[in-house]
Amino acid sequence: MPLPVPGPPEALYIHVPFCISLCPYCDFVVVAGAEARGPASRIPGYVAAVRRELELRADTLDARWGAVGSPTRPRLGSLYLGGGTPSILPPDAIAGLIRLVELRYGLADRAEVSLEANPGPDDRGDPAALVAAGITRLSYGAQALDDATLKSLGRRHRAADVVEAVAEAREAGIESLNLDLLYDVPGTSVEGWMTTLDWALELEPDHLSLYALTLDDPDAEGLTGPLGDHLPTTRGARRWRDTARAGQDEDRAAAMYHHAVHRLAEVGFEAYEISNWARPGHESRHNLAYWERRPYEAVGPGAHAFDGAVRRWTAARLDTYSNALTPADGSPGRLPPGGEEALDAASAAAERVILGLRTSSGLPAEAMAEPPLAEHIGWALAAELIDVTADDRIVLTTRGRLLSNELFARLV
Amino acid sequence: MVTNPQDRLRNFSIIAHIDHGKSTLADRLLEATHAIDPRQMTSQVLDSMDLEREKGITIKARAVRLEYTADDGLLYGLNLIDTPGHVDFSYEVSRSLQACEGAILVVDAAQGIEAQTLANVHLALREGLTIIPVLNKIDLPSAQPEVVMEELESVLAIPREEVILASAKEGTGIAEILEAIVSRIPPPKGDPAAPLKALVFDSHYDPYKGVIVHVRLAQGTLHAHDRIRVMASGAEAELLELGFFRPQLVPVKAMRAGEVGYVATGLKNVREAQVGDTITTVAAPAAEPVPGYQEAKSLVFAGIYPVSGEDYPLLRDAIEKLHLNDASFTYEPESSVALGFGFRCGFLGLLHMEIVQERLEREFDLDLIASAPSVEYQVVLTNGRGIVEVDNPAHLPAIIDIEEIREPWVRLSVVTPSTYIGPLMELSTNRRGSFVDLEYIDPVRVLMRFELPLAELIVDYYDQLKTRTAGYASMDYEEIGYRAANLVKLDVLVAGEPVDSLSMIVHREKSVSIGRTLAERLKQLIPRQMFEVPIQASIGSNVVARETVRALRKNVLAKCYGGDITRKRKLLEKQKEGKRRMKRVGSVEIPQEAFLAMLRTDEA
Repeated sequence: MPLPVPGPPEALYIHVPFCISLCPYCDFVVVAGAEARGPASRIPGYVAAVRRELELRADTLDARWGAVGSPTRPRLGSLYLGGGTPSILPPDAIAGLIRLVELRYGLADRAEVSLEANPGPDDRGDPAALVAAGITRLSYGAQALDDATLKSLGRRHRAADVVEAVAEAREAGIESLNLDLLYDVPGTSVEGWMTTLDWALELEPDHLSLYALTLDDPDAEGLTGPLGDHLPTTRGARRWRDTARAGQDEDRAAAMYHHAVHRLAEVGFEAYEISNWARPGHESRHNLAYWERRPYEAVGPGAHAFDGAVRRWTAARLDTYSNALTPADGSPGRLPPGGEEALDAASAAAERVILGLRTSSGLPAEAMAEPPLAEHIGWALAAELIDVTADDRIVLTTRGRLLSNELFARLV
Repeated sequence: MVTNPQDRLRNFSIIAHIDHGKSTLADRLLEATHAIDPRQMTSQVLDSMDLEREKGITIKARAVRLEYTADDGLLYGLNLIDTPGHVDFSYEVSRSLQACEGAILVVDAAQGIEAQTLANVHLALREGLTIIPVLNKIDLPSAQPEVVMEELESVLAIPREEVILASAKEGTGIAEILEAIVSRIPPPKGDPAAPLKALVFDSHYDPYKGVIVHVRLAQGTLHAHDRIRVMASGAEAELLELGFFRPQLVPVKAMRAGEVGYVATGLKNVREAQVGDTITTVAAPAAEPVPGYQEAKSLVFAGIYPVSGEDYPLLRDAIEKLHLNDASFTYEPESSVALGFGFRCGFLGLLHMEIVQERLEREFDLDLIASAPSVEYQVVLTNGRGIVEVDNPAHLPAIIDIEEIREPWVRLSVVTPSTYIGPLMELSTNRRGSFVDLEYIDPVRVLMRFELPLAELIVDYYDQLKTRTAGYASMDYEEIGYRAANLVKLDVLVAGEPVDSLSMIVHREKSVSIGRTLAERLKQLIPRQMFEVPIQASIGSNVVARETVRALRKNVLAKCYGGDITRKRKLLEKQKEGKRRMKRVGSVEIPQEAFLAMLRTDEA
């Protein structure tokens, strides 16, 4: 097994940890309420800190890989502002961040510049200003397209807001548009989900991310300590999740997934990853960088970076983050604390197989003969989890996608 | 350390039903006689094992020597021999009592007489011990000393004038108890010049000193330089050290008839000096041992297996080491189609089984699976080919070779408020038991006696007893021999494969309902797999119950984790660990709890 080799980043993720309100199922690093808007907003302080982090990380990359644009330091193919709700940042702050990235990291011609937005009227931002700032791709957290389900999920927006947001984005000239939707939501039915998908298709998105509502417990996973990459789950969210879990149903979830596979294929969307569908040419280049294990840089609290050999993350707490980068005493600031993990050859090989199989391009046939897949390939073929395509690629079947952890848990 | 003349020695133990305050009283006696520095006082001083403190019970017998200046101005040596409180260890209790001339009977002033109170008093009377009755917890608002004294008088013929009222918690009555020990309990007898007979009432293994036995000298004198012989096992050793318990070990040069102390034998295995055996000297051996020695008898048997097969050598070492300390369980290698290599172990009872398994897991850091417990059956073979003993249902001979199967029975004593007579009658009838008799202890409480098969008792009888009587009933049992029964083997097939560790021997009339319950329980306990998994219970080739675990439909990380690949991998590693903790039988992953499914069934 080859040892992992580091390389310069091909993509950059900026985590924007602000939302107007918290959704009870979400465990991304987010602060909300008075910290996200109004006189006590921490957004300006965050913007200063993240700009500082962008500078410091760029200094390190310059020293390691040479100046931006040199043969050893290609410009970025993708920049992704995720959150949280990056669309609640002031437009000039977004424009400023993109300019800074262009200057210190470089953006390739026709680079993908994505931004996550909420569809609600007071947090979707101004698409025209976003396009002017350089955003090429918008990803709306629609989650559902009927008001009852949106309400049960604790979302602030209504179905009509999604329609409006999409129209505004198209008007402004956004090239590529994604909708996030959740399935296996308590109280929903397979029929309701079929309608939701049809309505979503009527909005003519270029990309759909369909996620199963997954109620994790980051505290139990040990991720929420002082230097953890997640924030502790609030008591309210914990209660909500405990109740919601009882309303989930794996058979219903599987039926919903099967329907999506079938329906979206009909209209020419490719299921290019377990949870992601796109019209040809609209695959998220940023996400592909994650799944193809290309090096990516990341900034912001709780953000994860990968240089091809080491996975690195930043502590989630905003105070810790800001205090390190923009100390109150005016001193120059240093990189925020966090953690890292150097991958050994076996972990890297397992990741390559798992992430590769999650995508529709799968793995080359040779992977069947190599660890860690070699020892499980017979079983996985017999169990109809994987298939070999006409052009000799190993891919998951639809059944294999739904049961992928049964295979992956044997590979890690 | 002074050795007291024989007439200034008193050997006694404390007997009580569980939770009546035996350990707290022992703590107070230690304090009052300054055996322990108050600053070092922890509660349950004599219960040094973690498990004992957690469960609030005494597992191993302990001994301690107290120095007490009585009201007559003389210094007495009082040997307190603590006894295990649970029915599983009644043989150890009886040997401990044999080392005494008296017993303090502790009865909870609020609870009154319970089943083990009666059992222990009978044991003490059989040994001819002087009993000092103590009503404990008189400080409780619910204490009813008058009622309980009435009970003692009517049921056990203990005159109320003899009863001492005490609260071990508050320290009241302690001085009176100490005086009673000196004035009421006779000093030990035994000729110090006769050949040595020292009764072993406990033993444990010390890595430096070898087997350390706790002894009561019935006659003779033991010197620090003597060569000793253990009479039943035949083992001989140059003794390393002898002394008293204060409660830490304090060496002395010699010990005489009537004394209680320890002997570091240098022997390497507790099997060579088991509880009940007699030690004598090689130079002047006694002709006869102290009578009544018997080997610890296993009543409950179960297979113990490592969760992951590669831990088998670790389990073997762990069992050997633990056995050095606790010779009361037995073990021999066995293998199971379902569970791989492990050991068939015999235990004194269910609590003992639980304790051994927990000690193996904790003290040796192992993950273990225990198969469902079984009793030992006697199988009479056809054509006069004799009797075989079977403690593993999987090993039951073919039906065609069986003339008759016999199973062990017990006599069960239950003390309960009389309002629960009906539910307890029903419980015992459901368990194939027969009612023997009933006796009123006081106007509202009765002692009921039943006879029932031990196999019916070990499933969850005790839990059921507690459930049906709101926790008020207590029980005790003794073996009464084997009886023939119409028994059959119930097999379980998972995905068509027989799982030997799930086989049970059951009564024919109950086999169908047990088969159904078992299949239902397994359906709950076996997680959905990638294919539909049929579960069948069968008797011979006759399937009596069938359930199906539906196929798994979804196990996927279908959530946005962004660039956090580390978390994805960790979640998969956790699933891998979960799978590792399950046993793979054919293509089916079976969790550990499934192997104990029948222990947790509700009454049908």
